[in-house]
Amino acid sequence: MRVTLFDYGAGNLHSLSKALATEPGVEVHVEEDPLRAVDTDVLVLPGVGAFGLAAARLAPGRNTMRLALERGLPCLGICLGMQLLFDSSEEGAGKGLGFFAGHVQRLAARRVPHIGWNQVDEDSTLSGAKLETVYYAHSFVCRVADPSLVTAWTTHEEDRFPAAVRRGKVVGVQFHPEKSSTSGVAFARAFLREVRS
Amino acid sequence: MLTRRLIVCLDVKGGRVVKGVRFEGLRDVGDPVELAQRYEREGADEVTFLDISASAEERETLWDLVRRTAERLFIPLTVGGGVRTVEDVGRALRAGADKVSINSAAVARPELLTECAERFGAQCVVASIDARKEGERYRVYTHGGRKPTELDAVTWAQVCVARGAGEVLLTSIDQDGARSGYDLELTRRVADAVAVPVIASGGAGSAEHIRDGLTRGGADAALVAGILHDGLTTVGAIKSLLRSSGLPIRSTP
Repeated sequence: MRVTLFDYGAGNLHSLSKALATEPGVEVHVEEDPLRAVDTDVLVLPGVGAFGLAAARLAPGRNTMRLALERGLPCLGICLGMQLLFDSSEEGAGKGLGFFAGHVQRLAARRVPHIGWNQVDEDSTLSGAKLETVYYAHSFVCRVADPSLVTAWTTHEEDRFPAAVRRGKVVGVQFHPEKSSTSGVAFARAFLREVRS
Repeated sequence: MLTRRLIVCLDVKGGRVVKGVRFEGLRDVGDPVELAQRYEREGADEVTFLDISASAEERETLWDLVRRTAERLFIPLTVGGGVRTVEDVGRALRAGADKVSINSAAVARPELLTECAERFGAQCVVASIDARKEGERYRVYTHGGRKPTELDAVTWAQVCVARGAGEVLLTSIDQDGARSGYDLELTRRVADAVAVPVIASGGAGSAEHIRDGLTRGGADAALVAGILHDGLTTVGAIKSLLRSSGLPIRSTP
């Protein structure tokens, strides 16, 4: 199974590549061109950087990628990658993929960025892995138009925000599975197994 | 609820973890990749590499080491020591670091924090502050605690955050290595003054000291080095004391 990381010039992809490659039969590729990135079995939108810069890199392939997801291409969006699955963000200009209806907003909390390990509630994202305490490093969160697409929640101070969203084979997570130790890696692997079948 | 973090710090030189007193009498204590992985297994929430290399050649070794570590470590990795430019930060992140801590270079040119936050996001910019008590105030020192500045630690922490730092790593020079506990007053003053996570550093001699840093000091996280490397206590023992004190702590399966 080919898994492609869309590299929009952000940062560290090493841990994520290795975490995904721990699943047997998975071959991980890194692709900078958004049009070529969809020529794969599973697309991964990684999670470091600023929305505006990432949206600009995505722009030439935005429609193609959105169409590929609508047609059933499995996709895992992580942190900023999850936010790119939404319409827009107050962090920066440009359009996200709009696969999920909603807007990305700054966390409503005193302590921002939200950095550290936090608990996940009501997780029903995957059948093969249960989320408990996961690692976050972000200042913005997704406000989802249809709350029934939220499959897990986390609370920072008074702000309860989506830890995960899912529609079909497209999953977005606000935390970093590749930084959430054994259980985070197990989550990423369970995602790959679930969308393969 | 956000849990409190226990961060393990490893001093790295020439691609190896070393231990010494004030950079003298350095002794090799092991391979950074293996030690980092061991601490992850034991339940550490993050790992920090503090680079104490002197030469450019050793610098190259560091990036290779960060790369090899990031491929096998599945908890956050911070790199600190000798980071001077936006390019250095970009290089560390590309090599596989999740965060970079900046100390002397930020004092010399505070705009550096802003440039890094704009380019890479505030969540990866850690302002590292070394402070020493002088009368009623705390003075900021740079260059590994050797060079005094005119800055007040609490005010400087606020400036760093306004400039874009997403975390503050706060080290008490007076307490560092003394194993008599963190400087709780310093920690509390800074934690109350800024709205980003504060990491207490310098002085932990026991699990109780770490608990006090998080409760009385108000820190979000505690940085620990010597007492773990010397086997005086373990990550598991520290975490179980913190948990039994009622603090939210991540448990490891």
